[in-house]
Amino acid sequence: MNCLRHRILVVCLASLLPGTTIAQNAESATSRPRDAQTIFATTCGWCHNKGGREAGKGPQLMNTTLSDAEIITRIRKGKQGSMPSFEGAFTDEELNGLVAYIRALKPQ
Amino acid sequence: MKHRHGALCAALAAVLLTGSAWGDVTYERIRDADKSPGDWLTYHGSYKSWHYSPLDQINTKNVDKLQVAWTHAMPHSIRGLQSMPLAADGILYYSGSYNQVFALDGTTGEVLWYYRQKLNDDLVSKQTHSPYNRGIALGAGSVFMGTLDGKLVALDMKTGKLRWETKLLDSERLTVGFTGAPLFVKDKVIIGAQGGEWPYRGPIFAVDANSGKQVWKFFTVGGNDDTPSDARNTWGNDSWKTGGGGGWMPGGYDPETNLVWWGTGNPSPLYDWSGPDWLKSGARPGTNLYTSSILGINPDSGELKAYHQQLPHDAWDFDSAVGEFLMLERAGKKYMVHPNKSGFVFVYDRNGKVQNVWRLVKHINFVEDIKPNGTLVGRRDLTEGSHKQLCPFIAGGVSWNSGTYNPKTGLYYKVGNEWCMDLTVKKTEPIVEPMAQLNIGADFNLVHPAGDKVHGHVSARDPLTGAKKWEVRFPEPPLASLLSTAGNLLFVPDARGILRALDATSGAELWKHNDGQGHNGGIISYVGKDKKQYIAVATGWGGLAGDDYASFFGAPYNTFPKDSGVLMVFRLP
Repeated sequence: MNCLRHRILVVCLASLLPGTTIAQNAESATSRPRDAQTIFATTCGWCHNKGGREAGKGPQLMNTTLSDAEIITRIRKGKQGSMPSFEGAFTDEELNGLVAYIRALKPQ
Repeated sequence: MKHRHGALCAALAAVLLTGSAWGDVTYERIRDADKSPGDWLTYHGSYKSWHYSPLDQINTKNVDKLQVAWTHAMPHSIRGLQSMPLAADGILYYSGSYNQVFALDGTTGEVLWYYRQKLNDDLVSKQTHSPYNRGIALGAGSVFMGTLDGKLVALDMKTGKLRWETKLLDSERLTVGFTGAPLFVKDKVIIGAQGGEWPYRGPIFAVDANSGKQVWKFFTVGGNDDTPSDARNTWGNDSWKTGGGGGWMPGGYDPETNLVWWGTGNPSPLYDWSGPDWLKSGARPGTNLYTSSILGINPDSGELKAYHQQLPHDAWDFDSAVGEFLMLERAGKKYMVHPNKSGFVFVYDRNGKVQNVWRLVKHINFVEDIKPNGTLVGRRDLTEGSHKQLCPFIAGGVSWNSGTYNPKTGLYYKVGNEWCMDLTVKKTEPIVEPMAQLNIGADFNLVHPAGDKVHGHVSARDPLTGAKKWEVRFPEPPLASLLSTAGNLLFVPDARGILRALDATSGAELWKHNDGQGHNGGIISYVGKDKKQYIAVATGWGGLAGDDYASFFGAPYNTFPKDSGVLMVFRLP
């Protein structure tokens, strides 16, 4: 298991434990976790239409077949020519929140 | 017959008189661009910004014989090819993604030199409005280019070797850099930073063309600290610190008033939740100077001499940064015409005083109207929550692709976009650490206008009144610049990849060619060393405005490569 996968697994498992504080990614400097809806309206919505419910500049996120780990990797690493890298932009808690938000997306 | 060949003879004389193959491109030569019709020396064609070629070797009588002369592929062409080529003395210069520049023999396409900037790749990977480059400037023996990571560079025009590079922006913190072409004026190179939805202050810079030293900087958000604070006071709650703005496309220059005219970007966040109480509440209370404005700046000192804010408290992302500054004269009076991204076109005198405003596109409801004196009527200011049918769509009633003015027909030819959006406005806060992020303020999506379908059009208009002479409709809005010529031709590169030549007087289609992929860049005409007239057009899809096309329209957009850029060059047999 490579370092990244190990790290993501640790993060995901830690989130399941009650009372666990997820360690902040050393590269991010946000002082509070932002909720996923706000992050979408601030940044992600530029490409992911209707809060991720519809394809637009970027693909539809609702009902994505990507795994949680793949979603987090995509947010962190981006995709050349399609999506920027958000490495260091969001805390681990925010990243997990984004995954949960995407998983919960329903048609409006 | 004499008149027909007049422009070509002048062009040949200019080529011969310059002596060497690499003639100097001086300020005077750009200022007097009419005298070298075989060149395209600056982004907008000349300081008059007409995107017009005085050449007529290719004309309505023979354009049906136009054929491909040669092509050139730009490597690593992520997000297509969005640049405007330049031509001087039969040599073509053009830029592409990742800050690459080629110099080509304009007759054969042979590569004379190639340059690729060493970039901060980690930074570039984190940018949204990237990695494309929309153009370069020529002057003082150099080729000038703004880089993705916040530098202005000068390359030796003959060899492509780096002469100097100057770091202007802290792009590593601000995330944005430069994607627009610079403007060479007198002894300076002027360039505007990206801004808009990016939470900083959108500076415009002037750099000494010979030494590379920064001479002045002007903050489009709030002005400079040493100018009157009235501008800063138009941003409540210190929102000027993350106001956006910017000047991400090249402006124009009027030698008679010695003013550089530059359009500024929108404020940030794009969508405010204030509703009608925008002067006192919301994300950025106030008119938000100098966003969504035109600025008249003294190029020598950087002093702001005049301005007009086209959209006070722009709440819809309708930049003034797009668009050409057409310098015209009619009945002895001088005008300046500049389109706003909303689809309204503003007509000014040469001091920036509004003379008229006219509507290029039909589907507009962000205001009821804009009066001839520039006053907005019936603003549609949004509150938190869902809204339907805001028109036009965020990509604009016009986008950054240029129109063209033809002095022979007296008409202005411009692409208009008919589309709308649904959106849900939400309160956001700027993210500036560890790097700046977009600050939009809404979720949104593209929709057909009520009672209509999304489409685009190219229309021929009186530039001062907007009176329409003719219009050609396109199923999807074209996103490339237009070119008109003294041969009475209008060249229209459309989104599907078809390049057409229309009769500039009637709009009749005279010739077309399938260039194989969508157009999202520039088009020029020039004379090669073989004394022939060429048409050079950028092909290659993938700009942000076109990103919605694959999902919304389907074919052919969902089959286009997004990493291909090819310069296609045409001539008569």
